[in-house]
Amino acid sequence: MAKYHSVGLSIPRLDSDDKVRGEAIFGADFMMPNMLVAKYLPSPYAHAEILSIDTEKAEKLPGVRAVITARDIPSIKAFDPHSRFHAFLARKFAVFVGQPVAAVAADDLATAEEALELIKVDYKLLPVIATTEQALRPESFVVSHEPVTEPQASSGDTTNIFDEVLFQHGDLDAAFAASDFVLERTYTVPVVHQGYIEPHTFVAWWDRPSHVTVWEPTQGAFTARNMLASVLGIPHGNITLNTTEIGGGFGGKIEGLYAPIAILLAKKARKPVRLVLTRRDELLASNPAPHTTIRLKTGVRKDGTLTAIEADVVFDTGAFSNGWIMIHVTQALPHGYNWEAWRLKGSEVLTNKASISAYRAPGGPNTAFAIESQIDEMAHNLNMDPIELRLKNLTSREVALPQAQLQGGAKEVLQALVDKGAWNKTHRLPAKDERYLYGQGVAMGFWEGGGGPAGALALMEADGRFRILLGTVDLTGSFTGMAQIAAETLGVSASRVIMAKVNTDIAPFAPESSGSQTIYAMGSAVMEAAENLRKKIFDLAAFNLNVQPQDLAMGEEDIFVAAQPEKRITLDTLYQYGTDQLGLSGPLIGQGSAGKRKRTPAYSACVAEVSVDKETGKVRLLRLVNSQDVGKAINPLSIEGQMQGGSVQSVSIALWEEIQYTLEGQVRNPGLLDYRMPTANDLPFIETIILELPEADGPYGAKVVGEPSIVPPVAAVANAIANATGVRFLDLPITPERIWVGLKSK
Amino acid sequence: MQVNLKFHVNGTPVELTIEPHLTLLEVLRDQLALTGTKEGCGTGDCGACTVLVDGKPINSCLLLAVEADGQEITTVEGLVANGNLHPLQQAFIEQGGLQCGYCTPGMLMSAYALLKHNPNPDPEAIRESLAGNLCRCTGYDKIIRAVLSVAKVV
Repeated sequence: MAKYHSVGLSIPRLDSDDKVRGEAIFGADFMMPNMLVAKYLPSPYAHAEILSIDTEKAEKLPGVRAVITARDIPSIKAFDPHSRFHAFLARKFAVFVGQPVAAVAADDLATAEEALELIKVDYKLLPVIATTEQALRPESFVVSHEPVTEPQASSGDTTNIFDEVLFQHGDLDAAFAASDFVLERTYTVPVVHQGYIEPHTFVAWWDRPSHVTVWEPTQGAFTARNMLASVLGIPHGNITLNTTEIGGGFGGKIEGLYAPIAILLAKKARKPVRLVLTRRDELLASNPAPHTTIRLKTGVRKDGTLTAIEADVVFDTGAFSNGWIMIHVTQALPHGYNWEAWRLKGSEVLTNKASISAYRAPGGPNTAFAIESQIDEMAHNLNMDPIELRLKNLTSREVALPQAQLQGGAKEVLQALVDKGAWNKTHRLPAKDERYLYGQGVAMGFWEGGGGPAGALALMEADGRFRILLGTVDLTGSFTGMAQIAAETLGVSASRVIMAKVNTDIAPFAPESSGSQTIYAMGSAVMEAAENLRKKIFDLAAFNLNVQPQDLAMGEEDIFVAAQPEKRITLDTLYQYGTDQLGLSGPLIGQGSAGKRKRTPAYSACVAEVSVDKETGKVRLLRLVNSQDVGKAINPLSIEGQMQGGSVQSVSIALWEEIQYTLEGQVRNPGLLDYRMPTANDLPFIETIILELPEADGPYGAKVVGEPSIVPPVAAVANAIANATGVRFLDLPITPERIWVGLKSK
Repeated sequence: MQVNLKFHVNGTPVELTIEPHLTLLEVLRDQLALTGTKEGCGTGDCGACTVLVDGKPINSCLLLAVEADGQEITTVEGLVANGNLHPLQQAFIEQGGLQCGYCTPGMLMSAYALLKHNPNPDPEAIRESLAGNLCRCTGYDKIIRAVLSVAKVV
């Protein structure tokens, strides 16, 4: 394996000094003179016609500078009644609880809150569709998004099934007929929230009459800018989007949900406006992860050969479609295993709930819970070790994948758990205390992620350092990894590289920081920019030293002739040559423009050990080992952190988290006391195994990293509980109540 | 009606005239520009706003600023001495005890308070003390290790 001097080191995050001092500027830390505070009025009903909105009293309250409703939204040709983003303010109908109906900007928070109480909305209550069962009844009405200002763009929908897909392969009937055992179960996963600790925040300021500047902690500066251009009809060039530090996103902050509210208020008030969501706003009506019902039927032969898989996925998308997650949940079900045939049907169904969005490996945990629970039950029925059954059926690296994909490492990540002693082969943990049941479970998962395209610039900087200009955001420590990539490519240490995040006016296009693509795709652009700059530096140095570029070697602060190290020129001198009036060249600028990369399925496997309290049904996670193939570990410290964080989010989907809706579409637990996220006290240390299977397409062989770890643990925990209790729990979260009832009815 | 507030923040005497409905968190962030202390929920559930009041960790979103009158407040900005990081801050950096960094100031304050009265806690004591501070990025693993590493040093 190649020896690297920077790539592969566990360097602490470059931004960690600012962050431990409390000096990093997050969305709500950004201040402007004369900045107003915004609040929006959420709909108290899941479905209602808005007959009238009276804002007069609110407008007259001293300190209120602007009030807006849907009437203030500019009329645009490209209005899309199916878009969540176009529904940032309810028009004729409010279609979920918490949807903004009006908004105010005031001198301070107390005045803004008081103003909201003075807005009178006359609602006509309409029946509510709170579940997919209701939505699919033929007599049910269609969740409507009819607009008030663009009557020509009526949705015209006739069914609550927004989208349907069917994937088929092989002869399903024959494959089931040739099976010795067939299993059929229905698995449900509830709505959960991404749970980032920093709420959505938006600051907008019209610095010129036709130009608006926005600051927000979004995952995608260009994605957010595109959304604003599309929703408000503002030309892209008239929007400057700055990303602040981001206090977690996990897919929930990709587009920037409510910047249009801040922008319209800022326009009307002629002052900068800041809108910060409350936690209640977040849990009611940001964009959580979907509820899914997966009916799954699979077949297997006596020798453990998997045969056929049939599935019916009902995906609750809330009041608006997300566009792709349902498709992925459905088509990912057979992935990784050698099935002979499948038939997979997916339906994306509209309900009067907050519409869903991405959450770290969107839908991956939902898919994994279903398929990995079922394969585990198969193994139990066959009296086979669950790892053995999986290894027998997983695809090998030797098997050709479609051209657009790189090879995976499914067997390797699973085998690593066995090799590192994470798996107890007797498959029955000894009881340590009579009150408790002990069990272990295993599960597989994968995620493909994104692959760009992406652009970056590398600049020679004064005093011989290097500046990387880019328009992506640092969610996961990726800037540190990219500094290591740039340093490796340039031949200096990472401390010589300055990562400069710049706004959408300055940065070359950057993909959103999602789909685990930042190191994989953005890192490739950074590497290309660094290579391009390095060549220019070497050419200029060679010209100066009167040698050939290939004779040169890079030092930390200078370039020298490899065979005559005393013959050297400092990097700062080269910088001067490119900037001085008497200089010899133009400024030294490297360009990186990386095209879309191949899909790179990255596999993860997990073993969980639990204890179950027979008297209370309480589950305690005792041990969790997560094994993942990362291609090349650019920064192992960062990767461990990613794997630990993803694992814990997944465990939490298994055991604790659920946004609970009533049949009226109301959220029963819109606060962090009742929406139960794990604390330090709920968890053990999380063990990680990092595998580096060679890949070709990412920088130094890296592949997607951030998301795969969240996929398998949810199922590993469920399988451990089944192993401990002898009961299969098919509905998440597996609460003490469900366990207690399950044990009693055994 | 405005009220007078007199207290110490990070060792410095502060006198303010404020609206009585303001929380300590609002006063720290909006009036004193100490934005290291974060708001994550506003209801005392997430711990992002943890500061010390006379050495005790509290959720500053739940305390009216007037209740802090006459008291000594320590925020994350107060951990740094003469520009140098506190060993706990250094440990968070070295051990990878932070990712997005939003919970970090609150987490540091809870850990700091723990080490003040229990300089050598075991992992269970650390988990118990940090259970009021939610982190969504790290799974807590490296945070616990960071605090442990300082416990050994102190």
